[in-house]
Amino acid sequence: MVELELTVNEKTYKLEIEPDERLIDVLRRRLGFTGTKEGCGEGECGACTVILDGRTVNSCLVLGVQAHGRKIITIEGVGDRRRPHPVQRAFVEEGAVQCGYCTPGMVLSAKALLDKNSDPSPQEIGVAMSGNLCRCTGYDKILRAVQRAAREVSGK
Amino acid sequence: MKKRGTGLSCTWYGTGYGNGFPDVSSAFVEIHDDGTATVLTGAVDVGQGSSTVFAQIMAEELGLNPEDILVCSGDTDVTPDSGTTAATRQTYNTGNAVLKAVRQAKLRLQEFAARKFSCPSPEGIEFKEGMIGVRGDPSRSMPLSELVWEARLLHGERFISAASFTAQTTPVSLENGQGAPYWPYAFGCQAAEVEVDTETGTVRVLKIVAAHDLGRAVNLTQAEGQIAGGVAQGVGYALLEEVELTEGRIKNPAFAKYLIPTALDVPEIESMIVEEPEDTGPYGAKGLGEPAMLPTVAAIINAIDAAVGVRITALPATPEKILAALAEKERGGSGD
Ligand code: FES
Ligand code: FES
Repeated sequence: MVELELTVNEKTYKLEIEPDERLIDVLRRRLGFTGTKEGCGEGECGACTVILDGRTVNSCLVLGVQAHGRKIITIEGVGDRRRPHPVQRAFVEEGAVQCGYCTPGMVLSAKALLDKNSDPSPQEIGVAMSGNLCRCTGYDKILRAVQRAAREVSGK
Repeated sequence: MKKRGTGLSCTWYGTGYGNGFPDVSSAFVEIHDDGTATVLTGAVDVGQGSSTVFAQIMAEELGLNPEDILVCSGDTDVTPDSGTTAATRQTYNTGNAVLKAVRQAKLRLQEFAARKFSCPSPEGIEFKEGMIGVRGDPSRSMPLSELVWEARLLHGERFISAASFTAQTTPVSLENGQGAPYWPYAFGCQAAEVEVDTETGTVRVLKIVAAHDLGRAVNLTQAEGQIAGGVAQGVGYALLEEVELTEGRIKNPAFAKYLIPTALDVPEIESMIVEEPEDTGPYGAKGLGEPAMLPTVAAIINAIDAAVGVRITALPATPEKILAALAEKERGGSGD
């Protein structure tokens, strides 16, 4: 076991983990952030997306120990039913959620994009979201939702 | 060189299990004294939106908001069997069971209300915006919650019901081809515009227009979502997705080797909802799920043909197959 100290959604945790434990397992099993989903476990689907020091990563490909001393945002830290993030509100308004399995990762990818670039072009949105697979929606309403959120965030 | 072409395709699709196989859905309903209602069905919502559809049906019948309905689905401890979420059948089949069940509980409530409001027939009782009362006479109405409370606690009435619905199909006679193997049928038509790169063989789908007859859209947003989802799966089916087998084993059982469309692969999608009510469906509705992906494939293959004059006869239409067909055509073959 090794010691790990990391900040998740602005709260610092100290715990002991296995040296080969994946970040997704630290988040889901040890800390209970089950909003992070596992789709493929091999870095292809983006369901496990979290924001690590401002950048999106696939938490199934990151070792827990790599997150030592760093800041993570999971879907639980983005917003909730009472105070949804503009991206979450736009997803609801556009009807961009079907089975919902891809949704946490989609929302985090969109948030990470808008945090850096509040006025992205449709092409930039497509590229930013292309690491997250969705089998239900055909992406149409997801892309519309990100555009809607961008309009809200940028005030346009 | 990049060449563009358009293609068209039509589909008709028999929904439900078909061929006389027992296609049954069931629902339990209770109307509560706090202005809410519960429906239990075995139908599993895997993202197609059946739970929302059932909440809407309940709300429509009882004059409540969909948020006032608790849908409990797919819990084998407590829900009655409603068959699989497959065969494009849940909105139609389980939707019918929910409608039948809620109307039974509703009728008992109407009978109670008719007595209370001295209305000659239960049909004269209407449900509107959380109120129940005599049609056309707002002075004789009260909140649904209060009436149900009164009926339950002062008169011992209960507004509970159970109902099943069975889709009507028959096996087909192998002798003469007669029978009604499916009911209802869904219809659709799609047009695709593609761009084929004759140097690399790659195909980019630029736009899909998808028109689908779903009887009646219970939820327009979800119907559009199902169409877009179907189109994206159709794009994958046409151009990318292939289960490769060796000796019965799947060689590509992972997303790294089995590619599905990403946000960058889906075209602009324009959906057109055609509402031709289906007499046997809930409010005229019928299924949309699977039919949304089927015509995409043929429309894309036809569009490739229109663009570069080659007929692809094995899916997916990979760059290798398209380049081989183009080379064949060059050598004077038919391109088939
Ligand atoms: S679970 Fe991590 S990318 Fe699919
Ligand atoms: S909503 Fe089902 S995978 Fe995206």
